[in-house]
Amino acid sequence: MDTLIPLIAALPLAGFLVTAAIGRRLGRQAHWIPVLAVAASWLVAMVVVATALSGAAPFAEDGYAVRLWEWIPAGNLQVEAALLVDNLAAVLLIVVTTVGLLVHVYSIGYMRHDPGYWRFFAYLNLFMFSMLVLVLGDSWLTVFVAWELVGLSSYLLIGFWYRKSSAALASKKAFIVNRVGDVGFALGIMAIWVNTGTLNIRDSIDVLTSQPLTAFPVPIGIVALLIFAGAMGKSAQFPLHVWLPDAMEGPTPVSALIHAATMVNAGVYLVARANPIFASAPEAMVVVAAIGIFTAILAASIALTQTDIKRVLAYSTLSQLGYMFAAFGVGAWTAAIFHLMAQGFTKGLLFLASGSVIHAVHDEQDMRKMGGLAKRIPHTYRTMLIGSLGMAGIPPLASFFSKDEILGESFILGFAWVWAIGIIVAIMTAFYMFRLIGLTFWGESRVDRAVEPKIHESPAVMTVPLWLLAIASILLGIWLSWPGPPLGPLFGVEGPGLLAGWLEPVYAQGLEILGQHEAEFALFGIDGALILVSVAVATAGLLAAWRLFGVEIGPLRQRARPERVRALSARVPFLYRASLNKWWFDELNHLLFIVIGGRVAAVLWWFDAKVVDGIVNGIGSVTRRSGGGLARVQTGRVQNYALGIAIGLIVMAGSYLMIAGR
Amino acid sequence: MNGLPILSLITFLPLAGALVVALLPARFARPVALAAALLAWVASLLLVVGFSPERDGLFQFVEELSWIPLFGIEYKLGVDGLSLVLVVLTTTLTWISILASFKPIQTRIKEYMVSFLILEVGMIGVFLALDAFLFYIFWEIVLVPMYLIIGIWGGANRIYATIKFVLYTLVGSLLMLVAILATAFAFQAANGSDWTGAFDFEALRELATAGGGFDPTLQLLAFGAFFLAFAIKVPMFPFHTWLPDAHVEAPTAGSVILAGVLLKLGGYGFIRWTLSLYPDAAQTFAPAIIVLSLIAIIYGAIVALVQPDLKKLVAYSSVSHMGFVTLGIFVFQPQAMAGAILQMFSHGLITGALFLLVGVIYERTHDRTIAKMGGLAARTPVYATILGFFVFASAGLPGLSGFVGEFLTLVGTFAANPWAAVVATFVMILGAAYLLWMFQRVVTGEPSVFLASLGHRLTDISPVEILTLAPLGALVVVFGILPGILLDTIDGSITSSLRDAGTGTAIALDPLVVAIGLGLVAAAVVVRVVTLPTGARPAAAENGS
Repeated sequence: MDTLIPLIAALPLAGFLVTAAIGRRLGRQAHWIPVLAVAASWLVAMVVVATALSGAAPFAEDGYAVRLWEWIPAGNLQVEAALLVDNLAAVLLIVVTTVGLLVHVYSIGYMRHDPGYWRFFAYLNLFMFSMLVLVLGDSWLTVFVAWELVGLSSYLLIGFWYRKSSAALASKKAFIVNRVGDVGFALGIMAIWVNTGTLNIRDSIDVLTSQPLTAFPVPIGIVALLIFAGAMGKSAQFPLHVWLPDAMEGPTPVSALIHAATMVNAGVYLVARANPIFASAPEAMVVVAAIGIFTAILAASIALTQTDIKRVLAYSTLSQLGYMFAAFGVGAWTAAIFHLMAQGFTKGLLFLASGSVIHAVHDEQDMRKMGGLAKRIPHTYRTMLIGSLGMAGIPPLASFFSKDEILGESFILGFAWVWAIGIIVAIMTAFYMFRLIGLTFWGESRVDRAVEPKIHESPAVMTVPLWLLAIASILLGIWLSWPGPPLGPLFGVEGPGLLAGWLEPVYAQGLEILGQHEAEFALFGIDGALILVSVAVATAGLLAAWRLFGVEIGPLRQRARPERVRALSARVPFLYRASLNKWWFDELNHLLFIVIGGRVAAVLWWFDAKVVDGIVNGIGSVTRRSGGGLARVQTGRVQNYALGIAIGLIVMAGSYLMIAGR
Repeated sequence: MNGLPILSLITFLPLAGALVVALLPARFARPVALAAALLAWVASLLLVVGFSPERDGLFQFVEELSWIPLFGIEYKLGVDGLSLVLVVLTTTLTWISILASFKPIQTRIKEYMVSFLILEVGMIGVFLALDAFLFYIFWEIVLVPMYLIIGIWGGANRIYATIKFVLYTLVGSLLMLVAILATAFAFQAANGSDWTGAFDFEALRELATAGGGFDPTLQLLAFGAFFLAFAIKVPMFPFHTWLPDAHVEAPTAGSVILAGVLLKLGGYGFIRWTLSLYPDAAQTFAPAIIVLSLIAIIYGAIVALVQPDLKKLVAYSSVSHMGFVTLGIFVFQPQAMAGAILQMFSHGLITGALFLLVGVIYERTHDRTIAKMGGLAARTPVYATILGFFVFASAGLPGLSGFVGEFLTLVGTFAANPWAAVVATFVMILGAAYLLWMFQRVVTGEPSVFLASLGHRLTDISPVEILTLAPLGALVVVFGILPGILLDTIDGSITSSLRDAGTGTAIALDPLVVAIGLGLVAAAVVVRVVTLPTGARPAAAENGS
């Protein structure tokens, strides 16, 4: 294990370095090294994951750490570069390496004609390395390093088409908005060190949980909120959500891998890692739940009206991430990770499928110029339909189980408001997903005349990953929850679900503090009613979408009715405009940071050049003509000097009183 | 150790090189100067090999010769971890700067190389001198060649910039001389009129920390004088306005040394001289210095945001980054001070590289205006990649050296004063903002009209230019991954400096004096603002997100 675990991250790093060095010369063959590196990394990771989850040696209850080197030996601040595999990391490894590998393979087809072919694969490998270190980091600071490195990879990949200024702007925005969250995360790490004297994740949590909360200089609620601030940046939670939709400027495989399946989940991973800290600060958990569910409904409301296929999916990603934080906040921790896994595969699938659509219609992303594609690109259509059914919450697809568990547990754990909002979000989700399917695949074709004859299904190198992800997003839910509820009892089997069993040691400390055991979920009684409610609302959303945007599944046939869509949006003009304009957050931020911030910066520069520098030059000139005394007083501006002297005297008197009065 | 005077060798090797350059014809100036600088560099690396970090904070390779025995003035050199790190930084940046000057400098090449080598003598001497008078001599030696380098080989407005630079630094250093003399006088008075050791750092420190310390009034005044000299060099807000002007006018290599080494003279001086000799005064002024550092960190970054000129942007980023140095020193906390020293070192590497990179583009375009650039990635991809690397290094990307220094400073500050750390941490956003905005405007998009008009003259970075940047990039990576090399070296210096500082207790200041000081500052600002001509109001920031 001492070589295998570092190898997981080292392989993509080697792939990046080699490709960065010689990739340009490899031309169209540049994908081999990176893809093989990730494939090998996937293989190694699967071995490690299997060993870790089975609890075989050398893995203990709380995992196994490989120490690499003393990274920062600074007196009593010692940071080791070390990698940790515990069950939480193992679960994440499954998602990251599997989706990562499939996206790499898919990119061979998707990026085939791009002049920056080798550069793309080099960046992808850099991302894989960073993301794997993030998952495997054994100390807060190692995680932070990887946290910033995934930010860098994301920056490079969003801005991959650097000649497009919209891409350059989006990449910069993503990095800077993430930095806002990172300030919180960095301060949280500092607070952890001040509180515990260590930056090792497990050691610091042991210290934090073994002593009375009053023993710490920095209140633990503050620590929790600071860490959550970091999570909000990376996982794009309100009000830091603004970067993610713009990040769709990057090539679609990037949107799938980074901005749907892996990196954006890092925030959820982080709070799960820190679960005992949050458990010690219930008020912080309420904040997490509130921000999560608010982001969920905010993003869902925007997704209803967007016309860019990738943007709909981006807002849907935001919304589902909001679900995960809501789950974490109410205490449904296993459900949060369950949803993370289900979404990792489902959203990865949907984005890759949307890429296949975009590919088919020659880089068109506007769904108003699509339609009727079902017969032209059948593999893409079918896989995307599977993904959408999952998103809508139709059993037995993976996202049904995970979403249902989030909603059900919110209700049972006494967060009825989270449940109620979550139900509304569920209706919206089913609606906008089938609006997307309806506009894209069903009805008449609205594709550009010139492009129409050239529509083609993507090559196998792209459709095979789609099908693999589709199969995963069908079966994952059953597999991970078996034999736990709700399916187990139905077949007369008892016991915790597979995932719940894996995560038990991860959450043990936190749950003990929280003083609760995760709610057991059963099919009958109140839980059964909850399941029925969520299936019912999913169906309602679906039917609503079908009535407005049509349907063509087997015997289900209905034409789209654009006139009713128009009538409906005219009835609520404000809400419609708000949704279309994304609740004007971009405009608000522009006003605050570009217009007002820019003026502040300009004023400070003026202050620097004229006032600070001016005083210096003034002192110089006064010294030079000291013989002339206060010659400048005689320039007829005596009142100006009088004002200066008066204010100087006021400051003098005021500060004297303040200092002497202490 | 007791055979070869290696410290003198390192210090005066460049001087020997300067003499050879002066005697030989001009066509030999470049190779000889480079050879001399490389020799000094090799010698400094030998010093690294011979240095034993485990000898806690003691000076090693000490050389002592009586110089002016009447006043106890000695020629005394010695090295500890702190000075070792900065000497290596100096010798590294000097040969790189000389190599980077080969092409841009075409006039009076002999004089240029002689100035550069003498500059190196002064800088190394400052870091190694253990006699206050000798320290002062080296300190002033630095000034002259830098004056010449900017004044002769500088840009259009070089005379204004040099006069400002010289007057500014001279004001500080002359007051420092007075303080050195006053301290020596107090020492001999305390020692029964015996001048022996009156300028010796170790003897002075002994008296200042273990021997009861200097008189509070002397401490306050002497600290004030040293503070002015060092604060101007660092430069701390509000003594920084000479820096953007000097940078803009200086030739590329001059900027590299100015930012890379000269600014560190101030940081070094604070740690070596003020903490150990005037611990009470240091404790007294620490809160004010922390506030000024925080202002420098945030204010420097905000002003950098709106700079239209690449060099000015990097200059203001230096103000911001050096704020971390003074912050880390004056919170008197081991991690923070380690961070401050690391920050000095890595700022030297990264900002040095950024100035070299600005020089590369200036060589081709004879322009540094950000608004005229754009789309460099399409025209000069290798240059764009290297620029990107150092831009992220400067923004404190973890895994590179800048991060470790910044993080240690912040975490140490957090332990001592959480609110100061909260304020300083916000530079993570501002730093990313001004650097990435610059990067976006210069590198991404379609090539600008201006750059397109240059045609084939806009070539990608040349191998020699890469050779000047590669060692810096390598060091940035190495010290990002293995900062332990530096941390182990400086550990002893940190411990002893903090021990010295810790012996101090803040002197109670007369509230009246403080109030008068604040009142004078307020009056000066108000008078300045109201007497400005009405046309000099702030212009709106150039928009374009």
